[in-house]
Amino acid sequence: MKFIIPLLISTALIASANPDGALLFTNNCSACHQLDKMVVGPSLVEIRELYKGKPDAFVRWSINPGKKRKNVIEMPAMVHVGEEGLLEIYEHIMKVAEGVKAQKQAKGDPFAVSPTQAKRPQIQRIFMPGAGPASIAVALDDSMSLCWDAGECRFRYAWNGGFIDGYPYWRGNGNEFATVLGNIRYVEEKSPFPEADQPKFLGYKIENELPVFRYQLASRVVTETFSALPDGGGFTRTFTISPTPSASLEMDFPANQTVEYSSDKGTWDGSKLKLAPAESAAFTINISFK
Amino acid sequence: MKLRILSTIFCLSVSASAWTDYFSFEKIPNPAGIDPQVGAMDTFEDGRIAVAFHRGEVMIYDPSDKSWSLFAAGMQEPLGMLIEEDGSILVMQRAELTRLKDADGDGVAEEYQTVFDDFGMSGNYHEFSYGPARDADGNLYIALGIASNGASMREEIRGEFSEIGKLNREEMSTRGGWRKFKGKAGRMYARVAMRGWVLKLSPDGSKAEAFASGFRSPNGIGFDAKGRLLVTDNQGDWRPTSPLYEVKEGQFYGHPASLVWKEGWKEGDPMEMDVNKLNEMQDPPAGYFPQGELANSPTEPVVVPKGVLPDDMVGQTLIGEMNQPTLVRVLDDVVNGEFQTALLPMFDGSPLGRGNNRIAFGKDGSIYVGKTALSWAGDSGITRIKWNGKPFFAVQAIKAVPSGFAVRFTEKVDPGTVDSIKVESNTYEYWKNYGAPKKDLQEIEVTKVELLEDGKTIILKLGETKEGYLHAIDMTGVRATGGSELLGKKAWYQLNEAP
Repeated sequence: MKFIIPLLISTALIASANPDGALLFTNNCSACHQLDKMVVGPSLVEIRELYKGKPDAFVRWSINPGKKRKNVIEMPAMVHVGEEGLLEIYEHIMKVAEGVKAQKQAKGDPFAVSPTQAKRPQIQRIFMPGAGPASIAVALDDSMSLCWDAGECRFRYAWNGGFIDGYPYWRGNGNEFATVLGNIRYVEEKSPFPEADQPKFLGYKIENELPVFRYQLASRVVTETFSALPDGGGFTRTFTISPTPSASLEMDFPANQTVEYSSDKGTWDGSKLKLAPAESAAFTINISFK
Repeated sequence: MKLRILSTIFCLSVSASAWTDYFSFEKIPNPAGIDPQVGAMDTFEDGRIAVAFHRGEVMIYDPSDKSWSLFAAGMQEPLGMLIEEDGSILVMQRAELTRLKDADGDGVAEEYQTVFDDFGMSGNYHEFSYGPARDADGNLYIALGIASNGASMREEIRGEFSEIGKLNREEMSTRGGWRKFKGKAGRMYARVAMRGWVLKLSPDGSKAEAFASGFRSPNGIGFDAKGRLLVTDNQGDWRPTSPLYEVKEGQFYGHPASLVWKEGWKEGDPMEMDVNKLNEMQDPPAGYFPQGELANSPTEPVVVPKGVLPDDMVGQTLIGEMNQPTLVRVLDDVVNGEFQTALLPMFDGSPLGRGNNRIAFGKDGSIYVGKTALSWAGDSGITRIKWNGKPFFAVQAIKAVPSGFAVRFTEKVDPGTVDSIKVESNTYEYWKNYGAPKKDLQEIEVTKVELLEDGKTIILKLGETKEGYLHAIDMTGVRATGGSELLGKKAWYQLNEAP
């Protein structure tokens, strides 16, 4: 008998707190749904339009939500709220959204021409398609850009045209890739260095507004920097290696690309560049698009 | 009786206190053209404020002329910052802890040094990186959020993949058709290295130790004035409501996904473990933020410096909150050697608003609150809050005493109002579901209220106190002798240990 009394009291308290749709809404929904504008999920105004007069459909969706909208995260199931609670939330939404107009949200990126986004050259870390999650996008100039992967410490691809549209990533919480604006002209599937296992990224220094990437391959520190060839015709790539390698170095670039390779040092065998030890301390490669 | 009610109502109408009676709230101008969602802030010795924004700009605000200058750009989702002695700035971004160094002194960083990046990235959007917090010996602590099954992993990841889990690597990386698999991924998952952990780094970042596990979305890490490492986390799966932890080496803090990265882990899929076993393994929170009532997405803990608030609040901890329009005060207590806290709102009902992600203090005593939303409910920009130096009526401290609590106020209390205090207690279910309602919610009888000689301290004797329970102490009816209402009316004390 002793334990029944507190149980009764607690049920009574919960029962009195439970019918509050507003509180249930704050607890379960407010992080993602705002009154008059879309945040993670649709606004209450929009939900009201969708579900007016359809409380059962609202409850069904909340218990077993799915994916309706592209680029929008799926809602977690609200089964723990219970049907009664969900109906309370429904009533709350219908009431507070009545007569409210949705805020006009401008399409497109409101900060597309911000001082940092519009700057050239530009360096921007962001999720990039076709590369690792620690990628860095670099605009060398107005027409030549590339993606460098700080996870694997290697160049990934270069493109002509514009730079990136980061808005798909920035407008949310990072679920989307940035969009490459232009045509990808050159791709590398692996590091051109023969021993590139377990590289260690050391960061970059900005010189002439462009990054000088630094990374460690085995016992040597490599720097790699880029500049654009005129008129989007390709790019140059300058490496330094220290300490100077004691054996000759063979750099293996992809053979299947529509580019021409040339360099200030070493000898080419197709798409392979052979460098004597002294030459490999510092050398520059041109990659020009055909 | 009728007279008494009338006088109470009268009292209310003439002496309602508001935060705006003691604090000014001012939006500082945003830098032109910049997405003003704030991910990180810190203060230079000379009073300038460094701010990192959503799209990766690190800018410096000079309060003397309200100007902004660009220090660095191109970071990915910076969410933590620490200014070093030489003026370099450590920034935690998604992929790494980076040192931004202005070696030539022209006011712009030209070196972006990778201090530490030896942790996994699955490419999932929810793998945010937080910190660093610095201890007295210069060691740095970072916290790694885990992935959400709102999306899959990406094909290319950084670091090791753990095979422990219902889905294999290919299934975990399914971009189209993820819906088929997401239910088996865990609501939140940690399939790449060290997600869900707090890591301790040597001062130069060259060495890392796995310090503590069990975190979900720990968007708040910092040391309190006594040198305790505090971490906040967000309500969700395995988080009935948002918790505040004192993080100790080797401990587990409740979210099982991270356990696959524990050295020598042999228990199989931690998401499938017996809940009771996990419950025994976990170190309990030192405080709880009740969802919807106090905070839904607590953020950064910071220590109140001198001049910002009345002297008796200096050294206390403040915590931000993204979802509710408030900050949170932490009132600490130690019982039987265990740190535990009462949490109560600060600036609730003020013009502060939502999105309160980061807090920095100006050298003039200003509180700068940086706001973000990241597509959740929130706001953007920076609100500057300044105390006008007048004392105000608030709770100063709450300590657990035998069969109750001692509550100390900043001013003398009207003895006729202390009987109005109500207490209820509850606990929470520890389960894999997303959040949990209060469990065993029960009103607790206040058997006696004793006012001590200082006139400011009351002893609340309760019919019962329950260890492990959250005790909500509602002081809405309490008045100062002059009639002022409390600023911060309700406190939630997590009574892990009762004296």
